[in-house]
Amino acid sequence: MVAAVETLYKSYRSDQRRSRLLKFGAALALLVFGIWTISYFAIPIDRLARMFGPLGNMLANRIFPPDLAYASSSKILLSVVETVEMSLLGAFIGTVITIPLAWWAAWNITPSRYFLYPLARGIIVFCRSLPTLMLGLLLVAIFVFGPFAGVLALVVGTIGFAGKLMAEQAEAIDMGPVEALRATGAGPLLVFLFAIVPQVKPAWTGIIIYNWDARLRSSTILGFVGAGGIGLHLREKVSLLEYHGAMGIIVLIILLVILSEAISHLVRQWLR
Amino acid sequence: MTGLTQTLSKNPLREPGDIARRYTVYVLVGGAVLATSIHLLVLGTDWSRMGTLAQIGETVASLTPNLSYIPKVAEPLFETALMAFWGTLLAVILSIPVAYLGATRTTPSMLLGFPVGRGIIILSRSTHEIIFALIFVAALGLGPLPGILALACRSIGFMSKTTAEAIENVDQGPIEALEATGAGKASQFLFGVVPQVSPTFLGNAIFQFDINIRRAAILGMVGAGGIGLHFSEQMKTYNYGNAGACVLAVVVLVIFGEIISNRLRTRIISG
Repeated sequence: MVAAVETLYKSYRSDQRRSRLLKFGAALALLVFGIWTISYFAIPIDRLARMFGPLGNMLANRIFPPDLAYASSSKILLSVVETVEMSLLGAFIGTVITIPLAWWAAWNITPSRYFLYPLARGIIVFCRSLPTLMLGLLLVAIFVFGPFAGVLALVVGTIGFAGKLMAEQAEAIDMGPVEALRATGAGPLLVFLFAIVPQVKPAWTGIIIYNWDARLRSSTILGFVGAGGIGLHLREKVSLLEYHGAMGIIVLIILLVILSEAISHLVRQWLR
Repeated sequence: MTGLTQTLSKNPLREPGDIARRYTVYVLVGGAVLATSIHLLVLGTDWSRMGTLAQIGETVASLTPNLSYIPKVAEPLFETALMAFWGTLLAVILSIPVAYLGATRTTPSMLLGFPVGRGIIILSRSTHEIIFALIFVAALGLGPLPGILALACRSIGFMSKTTAEAIENVDQGPIEALEATGAGKASQFLFGVVPQVSPTFLGNAIFQFDINIRRAAILGMVGAGGIGLHFSEQMKTYNYGNAGACVLAVVVLVIFGEIISNRLRTRIISG
């Protein structure tokens, strides 16, 4: 008995030692890697230390005070409206496309595991891995300058973002109602509408609202590549080195995002 | 199909007021979609400059990745991943004091510390990484350093917010047990709070790394290093094949990063 406990204790100790060694090794490797990357990047450490001077100087003299008169001119406010509209339309069209995709991409309820499932998964993964700003620039090149490209970029962003979350929620549903409906001879569409939708509706509504919030964030910046919205004016001001005006726009964007976050939070609470 | 429409229109389980509210929402959403579509897609888009289908097809075809450019992309791609790594690491380190200030349970002062912590969280979460990058590029010049700092500033908010929430939801049991043995405040935090919070914290750090790869890929478009710089250069010089190669490389990197981060996170959460 005592011997058994002794061996158990010894094996516990050796396990503990091994895990400590592993952690130490990982930390050491990280440190060496970190030091190597500093030289790889040729990061000027002295500049890093002295950055607070220029940064403070820039913040104090060239950025502050933000030019709020410019930011509240009608031209800018109109582009804010355009930004919000882009986010709404992009999120709406994207959601309409995402709902069937999420249904197909959920392993437990997909109508076809060999064709639709990999197709929908592939689309979602591809859309997720394209950064919105890159996509915006590509779409401007392919189609036309303006909000059309921006809305398309937001649609793709929605498919990638909401598609994954919605499919995950659909995979967590209770299969009972699904099987009961299938047993009555209902086709895949009826099963989706009456067994799946009622179960995922609260979670999906939350995701849809959250997604709009996330799309608004990207739409504020899409204009940077000419894809519509307020980003265009930000880019203009930055290229002209008029940082007071640029900062005014940045303040406006931050206020817009905080407001949208508050709205999406309130709507989600109200629906619950 | 007739059965379906019947069920939808005459459902005895639904109250009339419920149906009226539902249709109000439909009309509102439909009206908003129509209005925004007209404003953006009909009035706001210059359709005369939109090419014909053949022209659009040609542009898309010219974006086919030029595979011989891929070797040149390897180095900026690695730089992008490193920027994401450093940005995340900096954010992880800086988020600890911010979370400490912003959690009601640990904050040293509700009047001074708490608003500062929460303010940093809100500011960081609601500012796009491109904006941070613009400010840092203007102050520090081009290169990966402003990119790393921009990523760090962008990630602090999420890391601190989730950590502060984890601290507030900590199970009191172990802390009380420690207090009963006579442990001081520091020991209570170190041995009561930290072990409960650390799996969430590590999982979120890995999640942020995954997202930061995506963010790092575009920072170069404003001069903050990484593959975005090459991408926007190739686009500006109309080398669409090379730009396509950059996009392909980013897609591969992001998918790769996501797979690794998912593996690591399930491993950490399952112990």
